[in-house]
Amino acid sequence: MARYAMVIDTRRCIGCHSCTVACKVHNELPVDMIYNSVTTVGPTGIYPDLHMYNVPTLCMHCANAPCVDACPTGASQKREDGVVFIEDKKCVGCQACIMACPYGARVQNHATGAAQKCDFCKDRLDVGKKPHCVNTCHQKARIFGDLDDETSEVYKLVHGENSARLLGELNTEPYVFYIY
Amino acid sequence: MSKNIDLEQEGIEVKKSACYFCHQNCGVLAYVKDGKVLDIEGDPEFPTNQGGLCCRGNIALDHLDHPARINYPLKRVGKRGEGKWEQIPWDQAIQEIGVKISKIRDEFGAEAVATAGGTQRTDDWARRRFMNQFGSPNGFHNSHLCWIPTFMVETAIYGWCPFELDMGNSRCLVLWGQNPGAAGMPEMHHISALQAKGMKVIVIDPRFSETAAKADLWLPLRPGSDLALALAWINVIIYDGLFDQEFVANSCEGFGELADHVEEFTPEWAAPLTWLTPEQIREGAYMYAMNKPGNIQWGTSVDQIGKPAGSTMHARAILRAITGNLDVPGADLLTGPSPDFITDEEMEANDQLSELQKTKQIGSERFKLVTWPGYSRIAEETRKVWGKAPTAEWMCEAHPPSVFRAILTEKPYPVKALLVNATNPINSYGETKLVMEALQAVDFMVTCDYWMTPTASLSDYVLPVAGALERPTITSTYGCSDFLLASQRAIQPMYERRNDYNFWRDLGMAVGQKDQWPWETVEDAYYHRIAPLGYDVSSYDEFVDRYRFHFPEREYSKYERQGFATPSGKVELYSTVLKDLGYPPLPPYIGPTENEVDHPVLAKEFPLVLTTGGGFMPYHHSEHFQIKDLRFLKHEPYMDINPATAAELSIEEGDWVWIETKRGRIKQKANLTQGIHPRVVYTQRGWWYPEREINMPELGGCLESNANILTSSADEDCDPYSGAWANRGLLCKVYKVEASDLKGEN
Repeated sequence: MARYAMVIDTRRCIGCHSCTVACKVHNELPVDMIYNSVTTVGPTGIYPDLHMYNVPTLCMHCANAPCVDACPTGASQKREDGVVFIEDKKCVGCQACIMACPYGARVQNHATGAAQKCDFCKDRLDVGKKPHCVNTCHQKARIFGDLDDETSEVYKLVHGENSARLLGELNTEPYVFYIY
Repeated sequence: MSKNIDLEQEGIEVKKSACYFCHQNCGVLAYVKDGKVLDIEGDPEFPTNQGGLCCRGNIALDHLDHPARINYPLKRVGKRGEGKWEQIPWDQAIQEIGVKISKIRDEFGAEAVATAGGTQRTDDWARRRFMNQFGSPNGFHNSHLCWIPTFMVETAIYGWCPFELDMGNSRCLVLWGQNPGAAGMPEMHHISALQAKGMKVIVIDPRFSETAAKADLWLPLRPGSDLALALAWINVIIYDGLFDQEFVANSCEGFGELADHVEEFTPEWAAPLTWLTPEQIREGAYMYAMNKPGNIQWGTSVDQIGKPAGSTMHARAILRAITGNLDVPGADLLTGPSPDFITDEEMEANDQLSELQKTKQIGSERFKLVTWPGYSRIAEETRKVWGKAPTAEWMCEAHPPSVFRAILTEKPYPVKALLVNATNPINSYGETKLVMEALQAVDFMVTCDYWMTPTASLSDYVLPVAGALERPTITSTYGCSDFLLASQRAIQPMYERRNDYNFWRDLGMAVGQKDQWPWETVEDAYYHRIAPLGYDVSSYDEFVDRYRFHFPEREYSKYERQGFATPSGKVELYSTVLKDLGYPPLPPYIGPTENEVDHPVLAKEFPLVLTTGGGFMPYHHSEHFQIKDLRFLKHEPYMDINPATAAELSIEEGDWVWIETKRGRIKQKANLTQGIHPRVVYTQRGWWYPEREINMPELGGCLESNANILTSSADEDCDPYSGAWANRGLLCKVYKVEASDLKGEN
């Protein structure tokens, strides 16, 4: 069994939002819903000595996922390969998971009331494809793969230098890693 | 779109299509069943995008069957711009348009029919083929703002435009007024990969752009002052001895004259003009000249600076030559046109236009470089060496602002009909008020488009054209590369949409060109073009399926074998071609179109410097404002202003502000950013509001935030070589929109 992880190389990301749009389109999200936003930080400094970088965020697919623990109906689940997902028909829209997620990764669908979020495009993973946001990224800033496989690119990157998890101190153990 | 679609199901065919939302034409795989596109994704085997798709590429299915698309030919039944239309059959529309333009030809001459194009996302050789046979020299595009003047200046100097960058072997890349991080994603990907391996990247841009943020050296020059920078770089490279002595001695003419000419153009001279320090200027010159081989990537900015544009292109062309960065591994390559496949130019039937009609091309007596006088002169040289000429569509066109003025003044003669193809001139051409008056004044106007744009709404007929996924595409750098990338349509055009090729073919047949259009479909024409390549295929689609690309073996230093396609056979730093056309043989210094040194009185009233026209995600030119899956990213127009300047003007983040030049004013929202000089502002281009009433008088709010209200196309502001007008380096002022004029006029 694989253990899926995504590595985001912020040195490569240019903040074009292609991942955001690809995700929205392919997941048929209403106009007010986004699973993976990109935040541009900067330009910081004083002209002309400036710095700017971009941070894409999405569901962190935490090993210790507070959203799964918070869900009273069992709609929020984690697969063996680490994908955290919501079984739509069990969701009653209580928003407990939305409040539990420290990354703000879950959004409520205003039409159905249900919580929704990135599921690493699990249906694509099951047929051997990668998530849409990974494929669409011109900059190859998103690298996806099996962290249990020591030969994989994600393994090498995660165990290399300058790799970090967001809010590591919360001990949620995200499976989305950042290279900076 | 794909969430609930099983792409593994039986009967799905994967078509090798292309994105059509900018002219990068990224490879797209389309999953098609029963004539419907179920899903799309980037083609991982396509050499440029390698599977990537930008925001626009991802919305192809939204675009394909968007409720606002025009699907049937429309004929005006009310007043112009009133929005009353009758749906008519395609053939009826073609017959009626044919009758009308034939009548105009009989009465006023063929030159009274002009056509306006947009960016390169149409089969423009077909348009040219039509116009040549019809007898009118007055086709034009926005090409003056996009590479074409650069192409022709460079071809005058060294016999072709070195647009093919051999970046894999490069040690230094100069991005001169280009921002691939927002406008050329496939290119940016390669740049990032090579930069990680040590290639230096210099970005010359007034804005701290997506690309500048990743650069090794960012040179934020005053908008429009590129010429001073280029001349100072030449000065440093010559007088600090950084030039390639062997290449200059063996392959260049006029080095002595050049050295004398640039002696005064020191970095200290250029510093106050460019707002850079002498040290920054030297650092750039050294980085480019000392990290060989290197590249200078063209960007649209220099094409858009107006008055100094042609001279700047010449100076920039000289930089490549004196550093020997020309046609050698890792440098900028002179591929020449393809000797193997039939080029765009060979499809244009340029020999069908009489010499007399060529002399009538509007603007050609003043702006000679990209009209018949310059084109003929340059094509004569390229034919001697390459055996072929550059594409005439693009490289040899009527001067658009002069055509708009001719409509209004009947000088030099009346222009009575305008066939508009894939462009919305109200938003995309310079000096909107002039364009608007001309479009309202012209007797007869036909627009081929996807949408009811403000321009389409003023037309007599609107024809629906096939877009992405509905058309095959050959990508060959405006018909000037020696390679080609071929893509197929995923489906036949929906509803009564047709390819622009079929529009010109059908119209041609309707006005007596029956024997001149042997290819019934675009694919037939494309097959005719690739057949000489000798692949074992019996159709264009089969070529795409089995080969898709044609890349000839690369030959470096071709000049050693055949010389350069110039009168002397060498690089002409001192250009005899430019001299013959009446232009300076060496690049003179010309200040920015409007500037504080030459125009102190104007600068007092308009103390800030404007730059506009730069591309930004997720839009392209004036397109895609209808697409909600894009619009949510930037739902209103924004202009960049430094926080210090904003504070002086009591402007806060998100305030609506007026940006005003002596030509008019527009409003956009203030984005306070350190990424711009305190005396410079940047406005987004293209904006109109398709969600509003498209008919007169509102016209989709096309005058409200439209940056072209600010730009200048006056003769004296245009580049004397090409006639390119001025988007950048203009003087402006900025002030807050008051609550009382929020629902404002201009």
